[in-house]
Amino acid sequence: MATETDTAETADGRAGQETATATVGATGLLDHEQRERLYSRLLYLIAGLLLVFLWIPLTVMVFLSFARNSSTLFPFEGFTVEHYLATFADAGLMGALYNSVQVATLSATIATVLGVLASLALARRDFRFKQGFRTFGILPMIVPGVVLGIALLIYFRTLLSGLPLVGDLFVPGFLTLVLTHSVYGFPFVLLIVSARLYTFDESLEEAARDLGAGPLETFKDVTFPVVAPAIGAGFLFAWIRSFEDFIRAFFVKGTMDVLTTAMFSMIKYGAAPKMNAISSFIVFLIAIVLAVAMNVGNVTEYVAAGGGDPDE
Amino acid sequence: MGTSTESDDTLSFLRTEDGKLLVTAGPSGVWLGLLLLLPLTFMITVSFMNVNDSYNIVWQPSLENYGQLFGGQGPFWQTSFFESLLLSYFVAAVTTVLCLTLAFPLAYLLARKGGRLFKIVIFLVLLPFFTMYLVRAYSWLLMFGPSGVLNATLLQLGVIGEPLGVLNFGVPAIIVGLTHAYFPYMLLSLYASLDGIDFSLVEAARDLGASRAEVLIDVILPLALPGIISGSLFVFVPSLGAFITPRFLGQGKVLMIGQLIEERINSLYAIGYGSAASMFIVVTIVVAFGVAFRYVSVDELGGV
Repeated sequence: MATETDTAETADGRAGQETATATVGATGLLDHEQRERLYSRLLYLIAGLLLVFLWIPLTVMVFLSFARNSSTLFPFEGFTVEHYLATFADAGLMGALYNSVQVATLSATIATVLGVLASLALARRDFRFKQGFRTFGILPMIVPGVVLGIALLIYFRTLLSGLPLVGDLFVPGFLTLVLTHSVYGFPFVLLIVSARLYTFDESLEEAARDLGAGPLETFKDVTFPVVAPAIGAGFLFAWIRSFEDFIRAFFVKGTMDVLTTAMFSMIKYGAAPKMNAISSFIVFLIAIVLAVAMNVGNVTEYVAAGGGDPDE
Repeated sequence: MGTSTESDDTLSFLRTEDGKLLVTAGPSGVWLGLLLLLPLTFMITVSFMNVNDSYNIVWQPSLENYGQLFGGQGPFWQTSFFESLLLSYFVAAVTTVLCLTLAFPLAYLLARKGGRLFKIVIFLVLLPFFTMYLVRAYSWLLMFGPSGVLNATLLQLGVIGEPLGVLNFGVPAIIVGLTHAYFPYMLLSLYASLDGIDFSLVEAARDLGASRAEVLIDVILPLALPGIISGSLFVFVPSLGAFITPRFLGQGKVLMIGQLIEERINSLYAIGYGSAASMFIVVTIVVAFGVAFRYVSVDELGGV
C-alpha cells in the first residue's frame, strides 16, 4: 500500500532521472508510470466513495436515533437516549422481537439438520439427478420473496388448512413461519457445508472406516470436527436470513408479528423515533456478531463460497 | 441397540448405498418437495384456474386470470399490471448495471490487494449487508423526500434554493435503495471470480503492448464472466420482485410488480390474480437462469 501513496513529487523526481537518459521510449515509460499511479488512485477513490455510499444512510440513522429531532438533521436539538428507553419499554415490539428469535432459532435448526444431511449426499454419494437435486436445493434462495411468500400462503391457507385433522396446524401463524423460514434458510447451509465437504480429504473417512469405525462414529469423530465451523456458519446464515426476512413472513404470519413485520407497521403509522432506535440497535448487534465471527472463523470464505482461500 | 432382528435389518439397510442416500438426501428431498415444489406447482395450477367469490378454486382450466391482468379499459399497455411489469424490468435492469459498474472496481481492488485492507473493507461491506434489509430500506427513507436528510442538508448549506425533485421519492430513489441493498451480492460474486484470476496474465498482456482497455475487455472480463453473470442474476432477480424498497422509496407514486401482487393478495386475497402475476416473475427467472447456465455452471453460482 505504501508504494501507492507516493506523492506526485517523487514521480516528478523519477521523471527527471528518466529524461536524463533522454530517449523517446523513456518518455513513453514515464507516461505509463504516471498513468499507472493515477489509475491506482482512481481505484482507491472509487472504493472509498462506495464505502461512503454504503455507510451514509446507516450513519445518519444511528445519529438520528440519539437525536431529539428524530426525523431530520435540522434543526439539531441535542442528544438523548429517550428513544432507546421508549423502544425497550414497548411491549409489543419486544414481544415481536422474542417471536423473531424463536422462529429464527427453530427454522435455522431445521435448515441446518436437513442441510448437513443433504450436503453429505451431494459430497459423498453418487446418484442420478444429483445436479437437479443441488439446483432444487438452491432454489429457495433464488425465488424472490414475494413469489415464495404468496405460493406458501396459498398452499397453507387454501390447500392445507382444509385438510381433516391436521388442517388447523396450517392456519398462518407460528408454525407456518417456521416452516417457511426453514425452507428459506436451507440453501445457505447447503452451499456452505457442501463447499467445505468438497475440499475435505475423503481418505481420512475411509481410513477411519478401515480401522473399524461405523458410519456414525466416522461422522462424529472425523467428519464433524472438520466441518463444524462450516455448520456453525451455515446455522448463523440461516438464522440471520430468517431474522431479517420481512416479505415471506409478511405473507405467512397470520395474526402473529415478528420483529420485521412489527417494524413495518410502525413505519406505516409513522413512529420514526422508535424505528431509528430499534434499527440502530440491530446494526450494533450485527456489528458485534460479525466482528466476533470474523475473528473466530473465516466468514469471508463462507460468504464467497467456492472462491475463498481457507488460509487467507 | 441392535438386539432385535428388526432393528438389525434396518441397520444393515442403512449400510447399503441406497440406505445411506435415503438417510442423507431423503429428509431434505421430502421437506423441499412438500414446502417448495408442491406450493410452487399449486400456485402455477391456481393461476390457470378460476377462483370464485368464496375463495374456492373452480377446478377448470381457464385463462381468465391472465385475461384480468391485461384486461380493463383501454389497450393492454395501459393496464396497471403492464405498467408495473415494465417499470419493474426497467428498475431491475438499471440497478443491475449500476451495481456491476460500481462493484467491479472494488472487487478488482480486493482481489489484487488482500491482506489487512481486505479484511477491513470486507467488514465494512458485510456489515450493511447483514443488517436487516428492512432497516437499510428505512435508512434511505430518512435520506429521501422533500424534507428528507439529503434535501434538508443541501438547503441548509445553501447549495439549493428549494427541494430537488430527484431527491424526492420515486424511481431514482428506488434505484438507489435497491443498488444499496443488492450491491454486496454483486461484489461478492465478482470477487469470487476475480480472486481466482492469475494476474500475471494481465501483466503479460500489458507487456505485450495491450492497452488498458484491451486488457480489460480481452483478458479480465472473459475471466470474470461467471462472476458477472451470477452477480447480475443475484441483483436482477430480487430487484424484479422487490417489495419493501419500492414501497418505502416510491411512497405510492409508482407501483412495482411485487407491490401489485402484495396489494391484491393481502387486501383482497385475489389468489388467481396474484398467482398469474407471479408467473411473470417465475418465467423471467427461468429464462434468465436458462440463459445464464449456457455460460456458467450451477457450482459457480455459489456466491452468496
